[in-house]
Parts: sequence; structure tokens; C-alpha cells
Amino acid sequence: MGREVSESCVDGVVMEMVAAYCGRFYAAKPELAAGRIEAIGFQVGHQLSERYTMERPRFTDHLEAIKFICKDFWSELFKKQIDNLKTNHRGTFVLQDNHFRWLTRVSLDPAVESTDATENDSGSLGDSAAQTTSMLLYFPCGLIRGALTNLGIPCAVSADMSNLPACERLHDPLD
Amino acid sequence: MASTACFVIVSKNDIPIYEAEVGSAPKKEDLAYHHQFILHAALDVVQDLAWTTNAMFLRSVDRFNDLVVSVYVTAGHTRFMLLHDSRSEDGIKSFFQEVHELYIKIFLNPLYLPGSRIASSHFDTKVRALARKYLYIRGIY
Repeated sequence: MGREVSESCVDGVVMEMVAAYCGRFYAAKPELAAGRIEAIGFQVGHQLSERYTMERPRFTDHLEAIKFICKDFWSELFKKQIDNLKTNHRGTFVLQDNHFRWLTRVSLDPAVESTDATENDSGSLGDSAAQTTSMLLYFPCGLIRGALTNLGIPCAVSADMSNLPACERLHDPLD
Repeated sequence: MASTACFVIVSKNDIPIYEAEVGSAPKKEDLAYHHQFILHAALDVVQDLAWTTNAMFLRSVDRFNDLVVSVYVTAGHTRFMLLHDSRSEDGIKSFFQEVHELYIKIFLNPLYLPGSRIASSHFDTKVRALARKYLYIRGIY
């Protein structure tokens, strides 16, 4: 029971944070809002990676660090592992999660009651809801970037959601 | 039996973020600088050694006269370095592990800027208490 309560709190906090930054703080400047959300995710990822790597041996190369992100880090955060990891062997990795937890509560269908914080404006709901959903993804991107930077791999992370609730994360180390 | 011990935490940017003389020997100014010098000189050795293994506790990496430098490296490449005279390794490893937990608590503080000095007096008190607990032979201070 305690676990379910805290998970809905996390969902609520993340959605409210995204809504606050997009709606109130930087209402007219989505790029700034995205940057701030990503920076928050960066700091959180930085700290979480330090905490989760405490018990285990250190990493000897990049691939091990990425596998740690896919397995241990992801299961601590979302109780599941990354479903698919692809690489082009030239520094770019694609992490695919087929059931991304924070997106499962977001509805894009205007007929169904929307559970996220956007207004139910039937004219442009599809577009604004998609935009808000992509805003939601900046936080996990920041999380991954913070965790990897702490482990010694500076990188850029971007997210792509072609089919909900799956989403892909593309990240390439800046060498 | 007075013992010397100097503990330093070095961040991954090679900046010392915490230092403490935790030995029970009487404090002398020039000795303190001497200890810091030895520890910083050992950083090069640590750098080479850290990439060869995936263990966190690298035992004694360097010697100077009768003083030994032991090092513990975290995943974020923060180094805990202890300069001491020869002592049991188990005590040192447990000391490092407990300091690691304290360090993570500092790190999780959202107001702490990673890589900056650890100024918390609470942390300082606890580290000294841990040093008394793990680094000394019981009953002899």
C-alpha cells in the first residue's frame, strides 16, 4: 500500500512540475521551460546515480555504464528494465522502453477525460497534449544525462515517442 | 601509542573537497602540510590504478617512509584517501564504506553543489567519530 501511494505521488509531482514550468513560469517560451526541466532531471540523475552505484563494483567502460542505466537504474526508478538497447557502435545508443511508466497515465484521446494538467480545449487538444507529453519527456532525458555524466560519460539525450506508451531515447556521447 | 592519519576526499575534478587530520598524534603545522603533500602526490598513482580494476577499495597505493596511502574510489570517481601508519585493512575498508554512506547523504542534499567543499560540521563530527571507531586499536588512543 505504501508503495502505491508513493508512486502516484511521483507521477503527480512530475506532471505538476511540467505543467508549472510550461504553464506558469515560462508560458511563452517552451524552449526555456524544456531546458529548466532537463536541468532538474540532470541534478536528480546525478544524485541518484551516486546512490545506486554504491553497492556495486565500478564500471570499466562505457558499455557497462549504459547497461547499468538500462538495468539497475531503470528498475530502481520504474520497476522494470529497458526493453531494447541498440547501438551503432559509433557512440550512439538507442534505449527503448515499450511501456514507459510516466506516460501510461497521459491520455491523448479528446473523448476520454484527460488525466494530465492541460485544459480540455477541443480545438487543438491533439497538438497541445502531444506537446505537453513531449515536455514530460525532458525530465527523464535529464535523468539519464545526469546519471551518465556522473559516471564519466558526457552525452546528449533526446527522446522520441512515435507510439505511446512506448518511447525511445537516443543518446550519443560527446567525445 | 600516538598514530597519524590524514583523510582527504578528492572530487573527480581533482579538487579536495574535505580534509581532516584524524590521527591522535599531537597536531603540528608542518606535519599537516607534509601529509597533504604526500596525499596529493599519490593522486597520480591512484589515477593509473583506478582504471585497471573495478573494485572500489584499492588497498595501499603508495608508501612514504613508514606512512601508507590507502584509497577508495566511488563510481563517480570521487576518491577517499587515507594516509596512515600501517594498520589492519579491514578497519580501513569499513571506515571507507561508512564514510561513503555519509558522503552520499551529503550528495543527495539538493543544496549541495557537487564538487564544492563539504562544510557541514555534522559530517566532520561523524567522520572523526568513525575514525576513532575503525582506525584505532581498541583501548589505545
